[in-house]
Amino acid sequence: MNSIGLALAIIGAACASLFAGIGSAKGVGLVGEAAAGVVSVDPNKFSKVLILQLLPGTQGLYGLLTAILMLRKIGILGGDLADLSTAQGLMFLAAAMPIAIVGLFSGIAQGRAAAAGVGITAKKPEHNGKGIIMAAMVETYAILALLVSILIINNISI
Amino acid sequence: MSVKYANAVAAVKAMENTLLTRSDIDQMISARTRAEAEAIASAKTSGNDSLEKVWEMLSSYAPDDMELRILLYRNDFHDLKAVLKATIANRDPSVYYISPANVSLEELSRAVSTKEFDILPAHLAEPAEEAYELLTRTLDGQLSDSLIDAAALKAMQDDAEKYGGEFMKSFAALTTVCADIKTAYRCSRNGKNAGFIETAVCGSREIDKLSLVRAAQTGTESLLSFLDTTPYGEAAALLRESPARFEKWCDDKIMELAETARLQAFGIEPLAAYYIAKEAELKNLRILGVCRECGSDRETIEERMRKLYV
Repeated sequence: MNSIGLALAIIGAACASLFAGIGSAKGVGLVGEAAAGVVSVDPNKFSKVLILQLLPGTQGLYGLLTAILMLRKIGILGGDLADLSTAQGLMFLAAAMPIAIVGLFSGIAQGRAAAAGVGITAKKPEHNGKGIIMAAMVETYAILALLVSILIINNISI
Repeated sequence: MSVKYANAVAAVKAMENTLLTRSDIDQMISARTRAEAEAIASAKTSGNDSLEKVWEMLSSYAPDDMELRILLYRNDFHDLKAVLKATIANRDPSVYYISPANVSLEELSRAVSTKEFDILPAHLAEPAEEAYELLTRTLDGQLSDSLIDAAALKAMQDDAEKYGGEFMKSFAALTTVCADIKTAYRCSRNGKNAGFIETAVCGSREIDKLSLVRAAQTGTESLLSFLDTTPYGEAAALLRESPARFEKWCDDKIMELAETARLQAFGIEPLAAYYIAKEAELKNLRILGVCRECGSDRETIEERMRKLYV
């Protein structure tokens, strides 16, 4: 068994969940700070700001999904480890990169947009939806990255 | 890009809803009695109507922010003037002390009475010693006040340069220019000598101190002609109409600056802008109260009302 190939694939899966998770954690944390500021003044706005806080959390889920797909494909989850060459391992590592990198940055960026959206909710609660839409636009790029990662994973032949 | 104070900015944005709007002010002007006007204000502000409370809230979010403290420098130096004079005249300074301030009355009183000015914050220590020495030597309260006022402006500019962002630098510069023009105008009207004007005027990047002092020394018309050649020609035109209009213009300019900070989602600027807005709101309420006491008509009151933040 080529352990280098397998190790590279596992590093890929770890990167997918690690970096996307960091992006989400930072984003959700930032919106949480802003949301807490609003709720401290007006607790009735809790449910509205909660939606905004959830938005940057999706990148972490995309990272987790990518990692699970990879771990399943290489047999770690099924218990039947695949014999991966170094090239195949590198392919898995490359497959993880789109969601790892885009997940990290889009999570942070979406957090900033959503935190600014919390400001809209604070001042003009009736325009809360506009803040959600603006923050959700960032999601597009995380979805595209997830799509690319999944397409690569699915097309790596073992 | 910094995402500092996300929590505080969001809280401040929620609190902006408690600031008085133009329609609230209109209703207050139309109110038949003072009590009715006060009821309109307190219904909107729901008890968050004192600067002390606002400052307490802002400083709890940013306890170590030196930039935000610059907003209180004018109060600090006012308190210094009050404590100096009260101590020398053997009177109780507490009636003249205004808050919020960076220095407590006890601290100021102790520094002045023991002449240990080093215990004061850096921006106050040197001007306090200088003013004390000047006041005890000349017993000229006006000159000592002028020295302290100019020192306040200088401290604002220096510390804005040291700790502040673009917003605070612009705020310090605009405050200095407005105060310098006001001082130079008053000095020229009262025929003050060059030495006094030089002590009273701070100077800034916007308007050269020496030229302003020279113009003020020559006379009011010469001062206004000098201002016409600066970017503050509009100020000169307003001073020709009335000093009250100029003062309103200064307040409105600061509010316009605060409005630019309101658009930011993070950072110290929206917090500073909120404090400035609250100050302006209280000033409007004071003007409204005085105008009502004097029986001023609606048009006069509206003319004197400062620009609002919301």
